[in-house]
Amino acid sequence: MPLYPVESEGNNLLSEKVDQMMEWSSRRSVVRMNGDKFRRFVKAPPRNYSVIVMFTALQPQRQCSVCRQANEEYQVLANSWRYSSAFSNKLFFTVVDYDEGADVFQQLNMNSAPTFMHFPAKGKPKRADTFDLQRIGFASEQLAKWIADRTDVQIRVFRPPNYSGTIALALLVSLVGGLLYLRRNNLEFIYNKTGWAMAALCVVFAMTSGQMWNHIRGPPYAHKNPQNGQVSYIHGSSQAQFVAESHIILLLNAAITMGMVLLNEAATSKGDVGKRRIICLVGLGLVVFFFSFLLSIFRSKYHGYPYSFLIK
Amino acid sequence: MAEHHPVSDSKHKSSLNSGASYSGNGRSSTAVAERGSNAGAGGGGLSGGLSQPAGWQSLLSFTILFLAWLAGFSSRLFAVIRFESIIHEFDPWFNYRSTHHLTTNGFYEFLNWFDERAWYPLGRIVGGTVYPGLMVTAGLIHYVLNLLHITVHIRDVCVFLAPVFSGLTSISTFLLTKELWNQGAGLLAACFIAIVPGYISRSVAGSFDNEGIAIFALQFTYYLWVKSVKTGSVFWTIGCCLSYFYMVSAWGGYVFIINLIPLHVFVLLLMQRFSRRVYIAYSTFYIIGLVLSMQIPFVGFQPIRTSEHMAAAGVFVLLQVYAFLQYLKDRLTRQEFQTLFFLGVSVAAGVVFLSVIYLTYTGCYAKIHIPIIASVSEHQPTTWVSFFFDLHILVCTFPAGLWFCIKNINDERVFVALYAISAVYFAGVMVRLMLTLTPVVCMLSAVAFSSVFEHYLGDDMKRQSPPAEDSSDEDDRKNAGNLYDKAGKVRKHVSEQEKAEEGLGPNIKSIVTMLMLMLLMMFAVHCTWVTSNAYSSPSVVLASYNHDGSRNILDDFREAYYWLRQNTDEHARVMSWWDYGYQIAGMANRTTLVDNNTWNNSHIALVGKAMSSNETAAYEIMRSLDVDYVLIIFGGVIGYSGDDINKFLWMVRIAEGEHPRDIRESDYFTPQGEFRVDKAGSPTLLNCLMYKMSYYRFGEMQLDFRTPPGFDRTRNAEIGNKDIKLKHLEEAFTSEHWLVRIYKVKKLENRDRVEHKLRSTDATKQKYTTKKVSWDFKHWTV
Repeated sequence: MPLYPVESEGNNLLSEKVDQMMEWSSRRSVVRMNGDKFRRFVKAPPRNYSVIVMFTALQPQRQCSVCRQANEEYQVLANSWRYSSAFSNKLFFTVVDYDEGADVFQQLNMNSAPTFMHFPAKGKPKRADTFDLQRIGFASEQLAKWIADRTDVQIRVFRPPNYSGTIALALLVSLVGGLLYLRRNNLEFIYNKTGWAMAALCVVFAMTSGQMWNHIRGPPYAHKNPQNGQVSYIHGSSQAQFVAESHIILLLNAAITMGMVLLNEAATSKGDVGKRRIICLVGLGLVVFFFSFLLSIFRSKYHGYPYSFLIK
Repeated sequence: MAEHHPVSDSKHKSSLNSGASYSGNGRSSTAVAERGSNAGAGGGGLSGGLSQPAGWQSLLSFTILFLAWLAGFSSRLFAVIRFESIIHEFDPWFNYRSTHHLTTNGFYEFLNWFDERAWYPLGRIVGGTVYPGLMVTAGLIHYVLNLLHITVHIRDVCVFLAPVFSGLTSISTFLLTKELWNQGAGLLAACFIAIVPGYISRSVAGSFDNEGIAIFALQFTYYLWVKSVKTGSVFWTIGCCLSYFYMVSAWGGYVFIINLIPLHVFVLLLMQRFSRRVYIAYSTFYIIGLVLSMQIPFVGFQPIRTSEHMAAAGVFVLLQVYAFLQYLKDRLTRQEFQTLFFLGVSVAAGVVFLSVIYLTYTGCYAKIHIPIIASVSEHQPTTWVSFFFDLHILVCTFPAGLWFCIKNINDERVFVALYAISAVYFAGVMVRLMLTLTPVVCMLSAVAFSSVFEHYLGDDMKRQSPPAEDSSDEDDRKNAGNLYDKAGKVRKHVSEQEKAEEGLGPNIKSIVTMLMLMLLMMFAVHCTWVTSNAYSSPSVVLASYNHDGSRNILDDFREAYYWLRQNTDEHARVMSWWDYGYQIAGMANRTTLVDNNTWNNSHIALVGKAMSSNETAAYEIMRSLDVDYVLIIFGGVIGYSGDDINKFLWMVRIAEGEHPRDIRESDYFTPQGEFRVDKAGSPTLLNCLMYKMSYYRFGEMQLDFRTPPGFDRTRNAEIGNKDIKLKHLEEAFTSEHWLVRIYKVKKLENRDRVEHKLRSTDATKQKYTTKKVSWDFKHWTV
């Protein structure tokens, strides 16, 4: 006899919690939690829903840039779930900010943010219920895969289309068009060969110094040794490079090219012989010195390369 | 070998020096042409051409081109001299096998060839899925040689095809550069391309691959195109189409041509450089080239269907419209309306063109993220080190050549500028496309160097002495000391005299010349070093060096493939990772499941799944695929880093892409996220089929007294699972250095073994029942 009302009370409590969660998540796809809410809705039984919690520190004074990126990905994922046809009360996305629920962090022995955890409907979270951020990264596709793994809920990530590229292109085109229109009476500058040559060389230098590699791989700007604080701009391996390194190479290549052009200028231009001699020597110096510098950088990266020139 | 090195080295130097110094001399004649076109001072130039017999010039060009060919040919022979005349790598084995099929069975049989030995059980229609140009070329050479009673084995034709074609490439580069700039630059470009590592990497002896002949076809097509734009004659255009047809039949990279040429025409239109020559050249090229390219079975109707060919069609239509408007313009007077109309049309066409480029670019980019494409190392973006490694000084100087070309623009220099910019972009995106960049870099660097030599190699002092004098001070100054200098000098004096009233002085000039020659020499040395060290290992045969410098040849691959050929059933099916598919088919002549033509991702994923599952699960997959033998590469004994355990994560990734339920990459890592094969490694890894096959009985083997038994030299770790038992497989063959291990898949057993122990009861606890049972047994047995 006494059992019955307790169970119904539990049922009531459960449905109340579910309703509450549904209401919150209908308002915002990611539910913000403080310590009390977290204990009541996530930790405490009874539950029949899974909860994904992101522990983070988004306050500006915390200066956690990773948290902000992770938060964006998380929002993308939560929105994909919120507006998908499969949306149900089986899975909720929540967030606990350190400044709102520091006690939760202490309780869970958590000392780094962001962390993603899954609290299953039954039982306690296991080891695999903590998302392995270090190894997999926090792309929402990876998060979705992890959630599918833990909860059997498949989420198709739908990213809001990124119009910024298109808008920038449209702006550029209209700007150029506008400029052309304004100067329609004086279109000489289009026929300026130097301008076009400069543009072509810029493309060439950008590519030969590996900017495309930087764009695809996203290396750090330079490497700072945590032990002694020394900053190295040149990557030690020939398979990789830093952004700073590629900029150095770009400048070296440009200097050598300029040297070649100056050599040619010195010989062809008409003018004072002394001035031309100086130009010629400057050009030669640029070519020889910067090429040997380039060669020595290459040598330091490509181990076992035997040749050098002027500079070891 | 030891004596080969200096020999080829000196060849490079000599050819380069001669090319370099010649370009200075050859300049005077071209300077004549330029001055003539400038219509400025055309007076004295003629006398230079007259006083000099024209024969000298052609003799020198001929000699230099011949030497370039020879240098290019001989520097590609490192592998043949060190090892033997052998086909390299992986893809060439397929090409060799199909060439062999072509020569034994004839052309039509080759076109209709259905290869049931590949992609078991699917098979592959070879004739329709291959660019036949390479095989037909090699077959044709073989046929002609045999017709002349020079009996050469087809293998030797295949091995030496690419080095021979490199000579043709330098000749066509010479022709193209000559059209673009002048003869001196052309000779320099021919010397550059003969030895530049970016091209050698794909054309050493034994690398019997499409690229080897395709670069020749590419350069020759461009030469003929430039020629036809210059002349506007249908004759040259038809030649261009035929060369394009050869290119289409040889390599998928023909798409580069069919986009670059329309781009050239389009930019010419934008620059208002439309002329009747361009109209004739492009209209003819587009129609005939289109029809010819559709004759290749593999290409078929792609040129009118796929997006990467649409730019050509769009430009063709645009050109017709533009020509029509030009025609109208002559008839009508409302010029304003027409200009507007032109602008509208060109903007629309430009938008279409750009969006097509954008689409293809994003398409390429998306493909990179499929694991099977990402797993191939040549599909990576390019670091600056690769650029420098493959092109050395050329990569720093070719922008200067580009600068000169744009500053002195004309129709064909527009072409080379576009070629340079597009090729450098594609080379930045993907390492393997460095190959298409290399020719244009050689050409433009040659332009840069040649214009420097043009001004500095010559003597600008006003000379009273007669031109025929061979003054000794000049020989001193030009330390190069080869005869070509003298030959050309004669003309130079005359043409130089008007030009340089005030020179820079002989000292500066000779310093500049010497330093430039030194840079070029370093380039030649670099090329030889790179070719010898990086691009001349056949990868079928490995070499290791002892402490005293003597060499061991590790011939495990061929040993194992020959074992397969001799000891297995003719129709046996061999499972291996896809890298080795072509080699197994070519050398062992056995049926393979997957090979380097990775067209079927799910089939490869199935093999990957079998390799990364445990033995029981793998046995089911292997049974369903009728596998008889499994072949793996294991480098732990000799420290070979390209083995299957190092590639293993890609197998897991590819398998996970298709079977995410069964295979998870994270299972193969330790909790710390490391991939390790020792005791700390993840249990899934230590029990998967690949691990078991690689390390089967390896735990019993002590390689060295300093290391424990079962020490893997590649990964520097003692393996974690030494007691490996195989249930469904048995070891069939292990090569001398354990590099190749072959396992036989056992047939199903006649009687299923029972997995669990036979039921027994505990004797100590339940006395009564035990008694009863024992009694029962007695009762029955007695």
